[in-house]
Amino acid sequence: MSDRRIPRLLQTPAVVLLLIWMLIPLGMTLYFSFIRYVLNNLRRPEWTSPSLSNWRGVGNYEFVLNSKDFWFAVQNSLFIVGSILFGTVILGILIAVLINKTFPGRGIVRVLLISPFFVMPAVNAVLWINMILDPVLGLNGLAVGGINNLIDNLQTAPVVGGFFSLWPEFEPISFRATQTSAYAVIIMVTWQWTPFAVLIFMTSLQSEDQQQKEAAILDGASAWSQFRFLTLPHLGRPIAIVVMIQAIFHLSLYAEIEIVSRGNGNKNLPYLIGEFANNNIGAASATGIFAVILANIIAIFLLRMIGKTLME
Amino acid sequence: MGRIVLEQVTKSFGETQVIPPLDLTIEDGEFAVFVGPSGCGKSTLLRLIAGLEDTTSGKVIIDGEDVTQVSPSKRGLAMVFQTYALYPHMTVRKNIAFPMRMAGIPEDEQNKKIAAAAESLNLTDYLDRKPGQLSGGQRQRVAIGRAIVRDPSAFLFDEPLSNLDAALRVGMRLEISEMHERMKTTMIYVTHDQVEAMTMANKIVVLQAGNIEQVGSPLDLYREPRNLFVAGFIGSPKMNFIEGDEAAKHGAHTIGIRPEHIEVSSDAGTWSGVVGVSEHLGSDTFFHVHDTGLAETITVRAGGEVSFKHGDRIHLTPRQDVIHKFGPDGLRL
Repeated sequence: MSDRRIPRLLQTPAVVLLLIWMLIPLGMTLYFSFIRYVLNNLRRPEWTSPSLSNWRGVGNYEFVLNSKDFWFAVQNSLFIVGSILFGTVILGILIAVLINKTFPGRGIVRVLLISPFFVMPAVNAVLWINMILDPVLGLNGLAVGGINNLIDNLQTAPVVGGFFSLWPEFEPISFRATQTSAYAVIIMVTWQWTPFAVLIFMTSLQSEDQQQKEAAILDGASAWSQFRFLTLPHLGRPIAIVVMIQAIFHLSLYAEIEIVSRGNGNKNLPYLIGEFANNNIGAASATGIFAVILANIIAIFLLRMIGKTLME
Repeated sequence: MGRIVLEQVTKSFGETQVIPPLDLTIEDGEFAVFVGPSGCGKSTLLRLIAGLEDTTSGKVIIDGEDVTQVSPSKRGLAMVFQTYALYPHMTVRKNIAFPMRMAGIPEDEQNKKIAAAAESLNLTDYLDRKPGQLSGGQRQRVAIGRAIVRDPSAFLFDEPLSNLDAALRVGMRLEISEMHERMKTTMIYVTHDQVEAMTMANKIVVLQAGNIEQVGSPLDLYREPRNLFVAGFIGSPKMNFIEGDEAAKHGAHTIGIRPEHIEVSSDAGTWSGVVGVSEHLGSDTFFHVHDTGLAETITVRAGGEVSFKHGDRIHLTPRQDVIHKFGPDGLRL
């Protein structure tokens, strides 16, 4: 045991520093979550500074659990993260397999494919919601308008006119609306993060053993069977890595939600914390603790899954 | 059945022609070994037969049927690769089952064949392991098992033993020879190791730069090499080549004499020289003799009990009946 003491002693400063680094913010959040602490209250000015005399017990937690947005925010967080993961992994695999073959201009295509990843999230959201998804001025509105015009013209055409006059006028989807704002966020983040998945899958595909493929060809495997039985298992580990990294990142989405609809119909936990923190620090801290718990559940679940792929 | 004929087959990669027009027939049931130095095109030739490379021109005919344009899986051949090429995510059982699964063979028939193959390859205890948990020799046997269950008309081996250690290699060599004796299926085996070629083949095809230098049985090649390349390549240690006056005495441009065909003596002989390095193998001793005035080094084989020290002067007498004579063009006279 004594020969272990010195290494441990030498590690101590780093470990202590990291613990302080983590424990102080966590401790303060816990503390705030158990007291009444608001930024502005004219009737009860004593609540505007943190103090143990404002102890509220689990009151903040009850308040958060009973607020109409909390369960919606939890559900919506999971829905957004899950949809983005699904989209990026599928698109990432398809694109990576597609550009894994040599073709002229492959270098340029790869650079172009990676570029969405270098766009800032806020810029990404502004570009998408205004230039592409906007129902009037965006690509969305222009395209639907174009289709409607085309149908209008066809309605007066001979022969097929009768058929097209049965068609309704198409309405562009308004992505800032309550029902659709989550989809807007999912679309833009999927667009931004697909390159990340492509990058990781591409490097993995390059390390795939070509002799295995040749053996499979001789064994009579079709292109699909080669993909299903060789490439997909080979990609198992990178898929697990992409899922874990992205899950952790996307649980904390904020800029996109703020820009698309200011949380209208589309809140996640960080956004809810932000809303509470406008005034009620106690409730924001309690929500923060819930977010930590949720992130830990997901992290443990993901670590298990990755552990399994690594162990095989 | 498995008679493989190559007719005027060529292969070019871009501008470089790696296989000039080549004709070759491998009879049904033969164990043919393609042997040659690295880069001589032997693996390319095997891949052409397998269909993994397209021929630039010429025909590949298997059992009388032109398969030049037929896809690899429809040629009825099975291949064993140098790196084994096992599917790492599948168990041994699934690896062996893979070709049958692709062919849509019913499950109970698959199981029967897997059991038989595992039995004959001593893999029964390992069927539920993954390739990563097996040793090199076991992996190679799995690769062979995967080939056997397809009942191919010919087996193709691409340097299957070069990733194994020396002891295992000898064992696997015997197992593959045994398998050939038992199955009587055509086998084509690529190697750069002339010992493997000599010990396993019915027919050796010596290749250099895509050209066939000589085709024949191991002993034909050993006794009557057609040219200097084959003479130097077949046999271990290498044949001694002597040029100049000594060769002229035999009416040749170059004469070749194998180390095992030279008598060593301490007092009298045709040639004499100074012993350099001696390699003692126990049963045999190889002396590298310098200063003979014939060639830089003459290698001779003597019995294990003969011992000369470094720097000793010794006398050499070649057996006259086994001196190989070559003309100035390198061809046998």
